[in-house]
Amino acid sequence: MGLYSSLIRRKFRNIAGKRYEHVIREYREFLLTKEEMVLPEINSILMPLDRFVKEIPFDVYDVLSAYDARVLLVYIIDSQIFQIIRQTLNKEASEEFRKKEEEQGLKIVNKISNELENYGIKVQRRLFFGNKSEDIIKLAKDQDMLVISKAYGSEITKTSPLSPIVLKIVQHVYIPTIVY
Amino acid sequence: MNMETIALAVFIFTYALIVSERIHRAVAAMFGASIVLFLKIVPWERVSYYLDLDTIFLLMGMMIIVNTARNSGLFEYIAIKTAKFAKGNPIRVLLLFSVVTALVSSVLDNVTTVLLLTPMLLYISKLMELSPIPFLLSEIFASNIGGTATLIGDPPNIMIGSAANLSFNEFLTNMGLISLLDFILMLGVIYMVYNRALNVSSDKRRRIINSLESLDEKAVIKDIVLFKKSVATIILVVSLFFVHDKIGIEPAVVALFGASLLLLWSMENPEGILERIEWTALFFFGGLFIIVGGLEETGIIAEVAKWVIGHIHSQGEALLVITWFSAFSSAIVDNIPLTAAMIPLIKHMGNSLNIYPLWWALSLGACLGGNGTAIGASANVVVIGIAEREGIKIGFGDFLKMGMVIMVLTVALGVGILWIRYVG
Repeated sequence: MGLYSSLIRRKFRNIAGKRYEHVIREYREFLLTKEEMVLPEINSILMPLDRFVKEIPFDVYDVLSAYDARVLLVYIIDSQIFQIIRQTLNKEASEEFRKKEEEQGLKIVNKISNELENYGIKVQRRLFFGNKSEDIIKLAKDQDMLVISKAYGSEITKTSPLSPIVLKIVQHVYIPTIVY
Repeated sequence: MNMETIALAVFIFTYALIVSERIHRAVAAMFGASIVLFLKIVPWERVSYYLDLDTIFLLMGMMIIVNTARNSGLFEYIAIKTAKFAKGNPIRVLLLFSVVTALVSSVLDNVTTVLLLTPMLLYISKLMELSPIPFLLSEIFASNIGGTATLIGDPPNIMIGSAANLSFNEFLTNMGLISLLDFILMLGVIYMVYNRALNVSSDKRRRIINSLESLDEKAVIKDIVLFKKSVATIILVVSLFFVHDKIGIEPAVVALFGASLLLLWSMENPEGILERIEWTALFFFGGLFIIVGGLEETGIIAEVAKWVIGHIHSQGEALLVITWFSAFSSAIVDNIPLTAAMIPLIKHMGNSLNIYPLWWALSLGACLGGNGTAIGASANVVVIGIAEREGIKIGFGDFLKMGMVIMVLTVALGVGILWIRYVG
């Protein structure tokens, strides 16, 4: 630090004291931060789906169609449940579970995919076994936006209007997120 | 070692500490004062004579008013309103913020003014994607020029007004016109130098207007009742300043009356407000008065005044010397200690010269000299300090180039007007 710089800092501290910290704290309540001032460019949108996401509101399709972006529909089947069934019952039961889950997954993905395409939105599909929160957090790193249902990962109730899986995801992703 | 040498050594040592800011200026001044008192250079019974309570209570009263008004969100409201009026046009931003800074600085203290306006100015610069430097420089100069206009605008004026018993109206008559012309001159220079850098496309301007429109100035008003009471009290206090000499009350009494009225009317927690008084600044002033008192007691000031008078042959020469000496000195030393030292010197010159014009010369030099360097005035340090925290560098040399031009031009214009009025 140069002589001038340190002199200014000393003088500033002695003249303004902690008043600037108070002023800036008050300003922060209504001025946008540096990050908020930059409009993010949205080219890819991640949209997780599972057995709990039954319907997508039309407003969400409207919002997504406003971006000229590709939507990645991801259906994750909980691999832990698959393992538990395999270990506690038998291989056939677990295979039966896998088959049913994949069928249901494909059905939901295709339905949503068709609806998105009707809005002129480009769609990519993925269906795999994994961890719903960890895999979405990992995938979100390469995407520009996350659009996620409040019910993703678990049933929601009046007393618990947001799935704990969603809560964990939104706490760990650094991209703009819409929770519907 | 005799008392004269000790008093002079304390004075020089303290002022060197203040310039270097190695230790807090208030501590330096208090320590210097305590030595002077300990060695009985200034006898205890003379403390009340040297301690300028008019200045200290006037500052205290205004600090209470500002601190109470701040709780209402008044200053943030002014900042947002100004930003909206500018409509994303860089020239308008420069002009409006300079006008608001100068006006607010003329009635409230410069440090508070720039502390509250600079974050908004930086925000708009970011929105405009322009360098904030022209806006910040203009804000600094406007603050120092605005403060020159009135008795309560800048601490040197408060000290001069108290020492020479000058009224608010006398300040306005003598320094108001000078400040106005200097302000126009300063804006002209800034415009000439930075004109090319102050452009934004119409597309960008539309985006800026949208961003600014999204700011709700009413939302920053934390307490609408306090807001109205603060505005009413500030108007009342400024009105009383206009007539204080006619009704025979001191400016300090006006400020303390306004402060107590606002505290009583608003029912704000006095502990919180009084805690936020800048006690360090008040102790700094107190210490300086005693240290300079030491020079007076030992006769050093009288000797220097005799020497100055011996070398000055006319009223005009005295006017020029006081103005330019205070201007260049206050660009190096803070203008408060400079004024504290110059006041008794000018008082001593009163035996052989008409010193009335010299008070204006001192006010002009001390207030506008602060524009000369980055460390010349408190407003400069605060704005540069905030800019540095936000990653914007305003180097000493960068400031000096612009500051010296503004200082020389504005002081020259001011001294020209004083010359026409009192000499020519």
